[in-house]
Amino acid sequence: MGGPGAAAMAAALGLGAVFFLLLPLRAAEPSVELAASAASPAAPPGIRAAARARTRSRPAPVTDVAKLCVCDLLVAQCDVNCCCDSDCSAADFSLFTTCSVPIVTGDSRLCSQKAAIYSLDVEADPPERIFKLIDQVNPSIFCIHATNYKQALSFSSPEMPASENFDQLLKQFGNPSFSAEPDSWNMNTDAPNPSDANETYRYKYGVPIQTVDAFLRLPSPVVSSWCSDVNPAGFLVNQATKCTRSVSVEKCGNIQAVSMLFYINSSILAVPKSSQMVNITVQSIVVQSLNGMRTLLNGSDVLRLPLILDELCINIVLGVSYHITYTDAGEIIEAAASFVLGAINKEVLSIQQSFEISFTQVNTKPVPLSGNPGYVVGLPIRAGFRPQGSGIIQNTNKYSQLTILQSTSNQDCLAAQGTRTPILFGYNMISGCKLRITADMKCQPLTQTLLDLLKGQSFPEYVASFGNSQAQDVLDWVPITHLHTSEQSSCQIPVSLEIEVKWTKYGSLVNPQARIVNVTATITTTTAKQLPSGRERTIPIISSVVFTDISSPAEPGYKAWPTINAKLPFDFFFPFV
Amino acid sequence: NNSYQLSSVPLQILFYVNGIYYIFYFLVTLAMIVYKSQVFSYPDDFLAPDLALLFIMAILEVLRLYLGSKGNLTEEEAPLGLSLVITVGSVILSVYFLVWQTYVLKADVIINAVLLFTYGLESVLKVIAIAAFVS
Repeated sequence: MGGPGAAAMAAALGLGAVFFLLLPLRAAEPSVELAASAASPAAPPGIRAAARARTRSRPAPVTDVAKLCVCDLLVAQCDVNCCCDSDCSAADFSLFTTCSVPIVTGDSRLCSQKAAIYSLDVEADPPERIFKLIDQVNPSIFCIHATNYKQALSFSSPEMPASENFDQLLKQFGNPSFSAEPDSWNMNTDAPNPSDANETYRYKYGVPIQTVDAFLRLPSPVVSSWCSDVNPAGFLVNQATKCTRSVSVEKCGNIQAVSMLFYINSSILAVPKSSQMVNITVQSIVVQSLNGMRTLLNGSDVLRLPLILDELCINIVLGVSYHITYTDAGEIIEAAASFVLGAINKEVLSIQQSFEISFTQVNTKPVPLSGNPGYVVGLPIRAGFRPQGSGIIQNTNKYSQLTILQSTSNQDCLAAQGTRTPILFGYNMISGCKLRITADMKCQPLTQTLLDLLKGQSFPEYVASFGNSQAQDVLDWVPITHLHTSEQSSCQIPVSLEIEVKWTKYGSLVNPQARIVNVTATITTTTAKQLPSGRERTIPIISSVVFTDISSPAEPGYKAWPTINAKLPFDFFFPFV
Repeated sequence: NNSYQLSSVPLQILFYVNGIYYIFYFLVTLAMIVYKSQVFSYPDDFLAPDLALLFIMAILEVLRLYLGSKGNLTEEEAPLGLSLVITVGSVILSVYFLVWQTYVLKADVIINAVLLFTYGLESVLKVIAIAAFVS
């Protein structure tokens, strides 16, 4: 039976176990990252070499407590009261009053660790620094005797990105948040969802309109006046540009940018990053002859390419006007282009091209807005009439809705009939003319003529308070208040019309919108004295527009005063309560 | 009367003491693993083997003590021999908890040392008992 043999082997093993107990049990040194070796600056060479191979440029961490000094901040200079600074000499030590760092130890949870103790001996004359290297023992029975887990007791040095591990590091740390434990410990990795591949993008204001190959180009002058073809057209950004292009009759067919094909060749993507395409149709072609006369062509679906005819190069593009129709969801559904084609002869070396793009929402008539929602400085004020029981009706020409007299060069009121200039928001204007009154002018017709002159043919009744007020929202429109200052007298002729527009800032402080609150038209009249016959008088007639900002200043808000919340304890008056 | 009774009384006493001590050892080691996982950085890769080996050691210990006690009382050498073989495994596991654990605290060192001493003493007594039974 193998009993005795097995018994002998088991006995040997048991004795071996006993011998285990007799061996002094020491901390397994190579597994402790924090070197507790005496006085040698090198950590276990295996770790150090591996670290050096991986991190070519990062210096190795200092782990020897005798050499570690946290108060040594100045390089090659002695720090004050820093007893562990190696740049300090004995003379410096004699001037210290105390040691700012009295002890440098390793991890205090280890059972036994090295500690460097610095102290000043003030009894001696001069005071000198005492440095002791001792073994500090942690008396608790839960002190760490050994650890087989390298990263337990020190901060791990992060990996240096190189070409091998860059992708993995980017995947692990490239997100807004990442967990402290390595990726392999977690079940779910927080990679960015690929599910937004299904989400469709939409055009937003200012986003370049994408075509099949690149972007819809609107050539514009960049630094000089020469055309640059890399200006993309932004969605909902109405632009009009003019630039110069060099041409010659010889290269007529070779210059791409003067041919119609260049502008309608690539189809526009209806939605960014999609495959829905919208072809650019030719809406109209206007042919401009050499002397500048323009003719509208009847059939506009024919593509006219540049060609040389009788020493002229015809069908070169002088202007393109894009009209894009979009839905309110940010998709483009139609695109049309209107061309102006011209001809050049041998002497012409450069032509000026003009480009324009405008956007219209589908199923709406293009009502020109003067701001969205607040008025934009420089855009005309929208005004209109309100017949009984309906909304506001406006002049379709946005520059003719509210106008004032425009001064002419000859300054004669009665000669300059009809020229008016639109009132633009934010621009104070003054204009006028001179009226020559002769003796035989009758009062009433003169008054009527002057009123027509000052106010124009159709002076509106209502002004839109916001730049995008709709005609059907009557409450968004402000009535024009008329004031007449006159003296009671026989003949009053109006001499000045002053329109005062009071506006206020509306909305958030960060992006205030201009809103018109009040419009007052004041007509000042003066007495026209009857002149003796033969004499004449010249009166200046003035009309002006003034914009006044009546927004109240922002009020600061302060926090409430702090209150002292002191209460006596419940049993403060103990014996009596 | 002693010549007819081959069962070793010291061995039986040692089995009894071992059983009680092992319960204490198991609870203390489990508690300390829980303590280490809270206080130190104890990733799952390292925690799972430690816990698994502790439970394996508990199973082996129960088996070992049962077989040893039965073999000693019925004066048969086969269960006692099997128990001795299982003791080898227990010794290895105890050495693991003494040296190769993720965190070895001073308390771990103490209780594992006592356990190894007990195993050693038991092994010697088992060998003597087997020798007595066989002959």
